[in-house]
Amino acid sequence: MAFVLPALLFFVFFKYGPMGWAFWLSFTSYDMLSPPRLVGLANFAGLAGDPVFLQSLQNTLVYIVASTTLVTLVALLLALAVTTRVPGARVCMGGIFLTNVMPIIAVCLVWRFLLHPHGLVNQLLAPFGAGRIDWLTSDTTAMPAIVMVTVWRFAPYFMVVFVAALAAIPAEYYEAAAIDGTRGLNRFRYITLPLLLPQLFFVIVVAALLSARLFLMPYIITGGGPGGATRVLSMLIYETGFSYLKMGRAAAISVVLFGIVLALTLVQMKLFMRDEEA
Amino acid sequence: MTTRRDFLRRTTVGAAAVGVLGVPAFGAAQGAPTRTPVKLTFWTWENPQQRPWLKKRIDQYTQQYPNVSVEFQYFAFSDLGKKVSVGYATGTAPDGYTTGDWLMPTWLTRKLIVPLDVQQLGYASLDAFRDDHAPAFVAGAIHEGKAYGYPLWFYGVLNHVNTKQFKEVGLDPVKDEPKTWEQLGEVAKRLTVKDGSKFTRQGFKWAMHASQWTAFQFNPILLQAGGQWFDKDGKCTVNNEAGVRAMTIRASMTKQYGAEDPADSLATAPVPWMDWLKERAAMFSAPPIGPQAIKPINPAMEAEGYYKAYLMPGVSDDKRYSTCYGFNCVINVHASKEKQDVLHHMYRFIMSDLLDCWKATAPLTLARKSGWTDYPEVKSTPNIQAILRAKDTGVFLPRTPVWSELADAMHRAVQKVTLANGDIKTALNEAAAEVDRATAELKKG
Repeated sequence: MAFVLPALLFFVFFKYGPMGWAFWLSFTSYDMLSPPRLVGLANFAGLAGDPVFLQSLQNTLVYIVASTTLVTLVALLLALAVTTRVPGARVCMGGIFLTNVMPIIAVCLVWRFLLHPHGLVNQLLAPFGAGRIDWLTSDTTAMPAIVMVTVWRFAPYFMVVFVAALAAIPAEYYEAAAIDGTRGLNRFRYITLPLLLPQLFFVIVVAALLSARLFLMPYIITGGGPGGATRVLSMLIYETGFSYLKMGRAAAISVVLFGIVLALTLVQMKLFMRDEEA
Repeated sequence: MTTRRDFLRRTTVGAAAVGVLGVPAFGAAQGAPTRTPVKLTFWTWENPQQRPWLKKRIDQYTQQYPNVSVEFQYFAFSDLGKKVSVGYATGTAPDGYTTGDWLMPTWLTRKLIVPLDVQQLGYASLDAFRDDHAPAFVAGAIHEGKAYGYPLWFYGVLNHVNTKQFKEVGLDPVKDEPKTWEQLGEVAKRLTVKDGSKFTRQGFKWAMHASQWTAFQFNPILLQAGGQWFDKDGKCTVNNEAGVRAMTIRASMTKQYGAEDPADSLATAPVPWMDWLKERAAMFSAPPIGPQAIKPINPAMEAEGYYKAYLMPGVSDDKRYSTCYGFNCVINVHASKEKQDVLHHMYRFIMSDLLDCWKATAPLTLARKSGWTDYPEVKSTPNIQAILRAKDTGVFLPRTPVWSELADAMHRAVQKVTLANGDIKTALNEAAAEVDRATAELKKG
């Protein structure tokens, strides 16, 4: 018992304690300046009829799906690319991974300038006939821009997971397949992909969890704009709690976000377990 | 260093102020309120001119009264209110702090700050205190017959123009001052330079970087158009006919005159006027911008003096007022009586050398009427007449405990109209509904 006590205390005071308190707060009206007052389900009922919350919820779901899909796909493609025998591919891996070690604030600020209407991205696209794209100030491109930055940032991190998994696949499988005449995409489809499934599910789960908690990128790059087009639930929690001093409501939103994350995780775990059993 | 001449001038002005107006001076007569050791905490916002000056004055105070020590902390302008809120929630709020006057209702409705003893601040009565400050501001500092805020700075928004660019397009910086929104649009159109679809220079620039700026720029247009933020029952009325007219004016720079690209800006929270300073925009509305702010970014503009500040335009020439806002020193309700007394004493000390304050923070005007405008250093400040008039005639931001929700809702509405070409009425309806929901929730408690 004494051995696990420090870890237990850590979880009680810094993980489950605050979580439990936030859950309780979601049933209260609390402005941080006067004591919490129980209001039952009023905070949740209020959310159901709040267009700002519903827009943020929709943004969050779109962001989770888009960024998880693209991060996983790009990470896998990068891993496949750097594990080829092309000279310099391994060196490239180091370079690609650098995007993940840069300070996030600096990354966001730099992308703000890159995605400026007259920034580098538009300048690079201009020779291909692309006109001006208002990446961050148009409600149709702002969210894709945030997803793009997310992929740029996180795909290299998950690439490392796939690279390790690819390295662990025994070469004999590919040799046997080659003898049987399996080539190219079929090699990937019948050998690589099935053997990568555990890592694939791991990446999907972790990427989805990371996406659900996204805060800094929209906060710094677009401020949630234009017109709320990139405001996700974590931003709304912050605004509601600390700008509007409605901690009870903010806690209710965080419970909803927790529910989304939990549901995603359970679905993915179920799929994963079914695959393991099979 | 204070020269003998400075000292004599200050003494004369101070004595005149005390004699004529019954307003405070701080001299040797003001003994320390206590001799026991007192440790205070004091929070303020970051500003390259104001924060260092406040720190200097507090250091001078603690040197003069060594039994008092002050733990001085400062935060980003937009974060201070949040930090204070969290401080109250966790029992770590400072004993004293500065606050934007638009946040006074937030503290007052929750009874988090104490009424100030105006006599300890050097005023004979509340009326003397009221008479010594700009009316729009003091109305926010006084609540139910008591003063809750000790005013520091208070300033109005001005139209800052680049006179070199005016002359380049054949405009006279004096005769061609835009006095109405239509004139502003026409002048901005002439000042605009485009290379194909790209703006090389925007004729006029609205701030788009922060919701508070959106709100204080929209505020006077709404009032000039005959609108109000709320009706007598507290319902948000920004979506009525006057609101639509105000938003039409706000968006006209982009939609009607083609003089602005709302998506193209270098503005950041610390330097919202960056486009103007970089000469990418010929006109920009902001609180007074002085040489200290101009020099580091555009030394040529500062050295050659090719800038000027006008009063903001109005819907007509006689309605040329802008938003004015300012900052108060307040005292935490949880501070002990002894600390409250020391804070009164310290606040009075801080604002007892207004010439020094002006020298350090000009052209950011002071809330106090007396004791500073007669100094030659003030009178010789470029654009001082417009700067003072903007402060004296300006209109206050809506005093509401749902200020943050209001500012955010309006920010989104402006973005929908100017960036996404959204319908004005629809955008304002959404904003008003959002504010009404916030008000209803507040009433429910």
